[in-house]
Amino acid sequence: MIARIITGLSAGAAYAIVAVGVVLIFKGTKALSVAQGEIGAFGFFLGLRWADRGVPGLGWHVPRFATLLIAIVIGALVGAVLERTVMRRLVTRPPLDALIATLGIALFLALLEKEMFGTATQFAPSPVGEWKIELLGTSLTAPRVIAIVSVLIVAAAVWLFLNRTKFGLAVLATTGDPVVARVLGVPVNRVYRFTWVAAGALSGLAAALLGPAFGGLTPFDMTRFSLRALAGAVIGGLDSVWGAIVGCLAIGVLEGVVGGSVSTAGAPELAVLALVLATLLLRPRGLLGAEGAA
Amino acid sequence: MTPSRILGTVTVGAAIVWSLLAGDVRLSILVGVTATAIAALGLDVLVARTGQLSLAHAAFLGIGAFTVVNAGDRGAPWPLALLAGVVATTFAATIAGLPSLRIRGLQIAITTLAFQVFAEKFLFTRDDVTAAGRTLERPAFLRGDVQLYLFALSCLALVLLLRRRLAVTKGGRSFQAVRDVEARAQCFGVQPGPSKLLAYAISGAIVGLAGGVLALKAGSISAKDPFLLLESLQLVAIVVVGGSGSAAGILTAAVLVKALPQIITEIPLVHLRADRVVPIASAALLVFAVVAQPTGIGGVYRAIGRAVDRFSPRGRREARPDPRPHAVDLDAAARQAVTLRSVEREFQLQMPVRALLEARDVRVAFGGVVAIDGVSLEVRRGEIVGLIGANGAGKSTFFNAVSGLVPVTGSIRFRGVELVGASPARRSALGIARTFQDMGLVRAETVRENVLLAQTWLARAPAAVSLLGLGTSVHDERHLRRRAGLALELFGLEHLAEMSLGELPYGTMRIVEIAAAVAAGPDLLLLDEATAGLGPEESHALGDRFVALRDELGLTLVVIEHHVPLVARVCDYVYCLESGALIAEGSPSDVTAQPRVIESFLGGSAAATGGATR
Repeated sequence: MIARIITGLSAGAAYAIVAVGVVLIFKGTKALSVAQGEIGAFGFFLGLRWADRGVPGLGWHVPRFATLLIAIVIGALVGAVLERTVMRRLVTRPPLDALIATLGIALFLALLEKEMFGTATQFAPSPVGEWKIELLGTSLTAPRVIAIVSVLIVAAAVWLFLNRTKFGLAVLATTGDPVVARVLGVPVNRVYRFTWVAAGALSGLAAALLGPAFGGLTPFDMTRFSLRALAGAVIGGLDSVWGAIVGCLAIGVLEGVVGGSVSTAGAPELAVLALVLATLLLRPRGLLGAEGAA
Repeated sequence: MTPSRILGTVTVGAAIVWSLLAGDVRLSILVGVTATAIAALGLDVLVARTGQLSLAHAAFLGIGAFTVVNAGDRGAPWPLALLAGVVATTFAATIAGLPSLRIRGLQIAITTLAFQVFAEKFLFTRDDVTAAGRTLERPAFLRGDVQLYLFALSCLALVLLLRRRLAVTKGGRSFQAVRDVEARAQCFGVQPGPSKLLAYAISGAIVGLAGGVLALKAGSISAKDPFLLLESLQLVAIVVVGGSGSAAGILTAAVLVKALPQIITEIPLVHLRADRVVPIASAALLVFAVVAQPTGIGGVYRAIGRAVDRFSPRGRREARPDPRPHAVDLDAAARQAVTLRSVEREFQLQMPVRALLEARDVRVAFGGVVAIDGVSLEVRRGEIVGLIGANGAGKSTFFNAVSGLVPVTGSIRFRGVELVGASPARRSALGIARTFQDMGLVRAETVRENVLLAQTWLARAPAAVSLLGLGTSVHDERHLRRRAGLALELFGLEHLAEMSLGELPYGTMRIVEIAAAVAAGPDLLLLDEATAGLGPEESHALGDRFVALRDELGLTLVVIEHHVPLVARVCDYVYCLESGALIAEGSPSDVTAQPRVIESFLGGSAAATGGATR
């Protein structure tokens, strides 16, 4: 049981990295992004391709450990491009429009990955080395350990950034009311760009860790993972970083425990659905969400 | 017929004839496309009318198809099997819609996503659910591809008919009212909860029919691909690219996304495989449509229709009527409209009461802020009562207290019946109608539909019954339409009946809202800043209408009004509020002469010059 909880926590931590990006984007732009998994997956696949076949034109093979960096950088770039070309035009529209646009983006990226990299599972060696640690009688592989460590670092960094820096204050002001924020001199467009770039980078990090931890990725896998991240973010309240992390960890543990102890197919998915419904019915604004935020 | 209608009819006819000549292989593809189109039209009922997005419609489609095959394999005749599929999806969709009673918007999309994943992993991995190895015997008359295609087209026609019924009956109107003005719609007698669930149920039933068509086509279903998340996303893409709310656009998008890759296997010149390119292109098109063409293909069709109509005088006239109310012979129109007053109420006034509306010690507090603090006033039958006071004095809050939109302590009696504790819908049935300072109607709907919406409480038959045109609902609807016609004539709006409300100037919208409130057949009419946004002449004409409503229709009016000359001209009695308390009452001339009223409401400068400046 303890083993299942610990592996569940490590999976939840990886979902949470994606979920922190989802929350950042929601705070910055009031958009709920379904594309948050696939953005990182694109960077992950590209990094693997460059490691295997070399960077086109240069013929230089990227070292394995750099696939993590490439996933992060490409994720951030894709985020920046999407923000500039698509999402910024939707900030003044009803929130459903932005959600539908991100659905289209997720679909587009996943199909593009299928065309570029094929449908076979892309196995990736761990970018953070092949070691394990023993914890309460459970052995955790390196990517899972790094996932837990990173989500703690990321959460602390995001919290410090939002609450202790001037630009973080700008993000919070934009959350409150973008029009008023703009009038008061907050660089609202920079806030929009920043949230997408940061979320893209986090998505890359998550993909680079989830890929090795879960025995490889195929296109759409990250969208499947990010569904748990979205569910976790919704449970947490959509606008709370800590809420999203708690929600994702709960989902990870629930999946681990139910999946390990109930043999019925689909039992974990049923449990997640029940958790989401129960949370929202009992507390519509989520565990740690602000009143009336979503 | 306008030219655009002729063009549309010819195009649809030509498309059907062409598709029938397309050959067996293509017909079989087109049956699948028709099923997808039906499912997308079902999803669109939710998206267009309730503003909610479901990402579980592929799962519903699967539940429908599997149920039909299962029922058929167990020996059910095909109509019964089809019905079983429709019932199963209706049930599943209603369950999936339950969270919408508590939460709204984006979170609902995520709960449907969780439902889709659950259905994929939990339901569709079970052999007893997925009908693995079972077959549905296709009835003899559907053996041929042409017959099956014609059957699919009839199902499509049925769905289009259902959508049409939805647009013109109580149900569809309620959906939109709940989407745009949920709390206020209750004042019309709309019940948000049942309305939301009905929308999911109808959407599910339509998708169930689509699943049935797929089941009849395939006989037995082995692949689960058409029921997975990817397909849910594609259905969303078809709705958005086609243009939510536009059946023609959605049908076109379904053909583009589903038929094109199969009919054209290779795009000439560039030698790209269409079955690989079209999905990516449709994903890109989805993003493009949301950003640049939110009305989708349907919007393009409408633009073409408008352009074509410019060639005919009649089309031109219908496209651009004068957006203002036309002049009306008030006395004659009011005598005509007096039948608006004859509505059946379950409660009839038994004993004489001193006043139509009596408020005693009404108090409204939001958290620590007291908006109304112990107001007592009465409104006598057959009077026009003015409610004046500065912004924030609590005038609109008082209206909200009377119509049941805010929690109240104290007592409000209407015709001797205690209102505190009664639902907004019950209050409208008792005979109270109102307008809102910032509009309580659906801008996307036509003027006529809005006037019909305001009469929802008069349509006794449940929304689902009126959708199918059963029982008394046909009579109800006809009755409502007659009343709507009278109300529109009374206000000189009948030439604007088919315009959508949002296209009209602000002043006209306000008049439409008053017409809608009058159509609801009230005894007491509450008008919140009716003249805001009107010019001086229009305000004056509206004042004459107030008097006609009182004298010819016998209505009692309470008007919140800032325009003092109008108050002085039409009101029989005036109350003045300040900071949630009553500071003066009496005849208009008495009240506006009191120093405290001048200081509070008319302003210090007006006091200095000795009177109202407006």
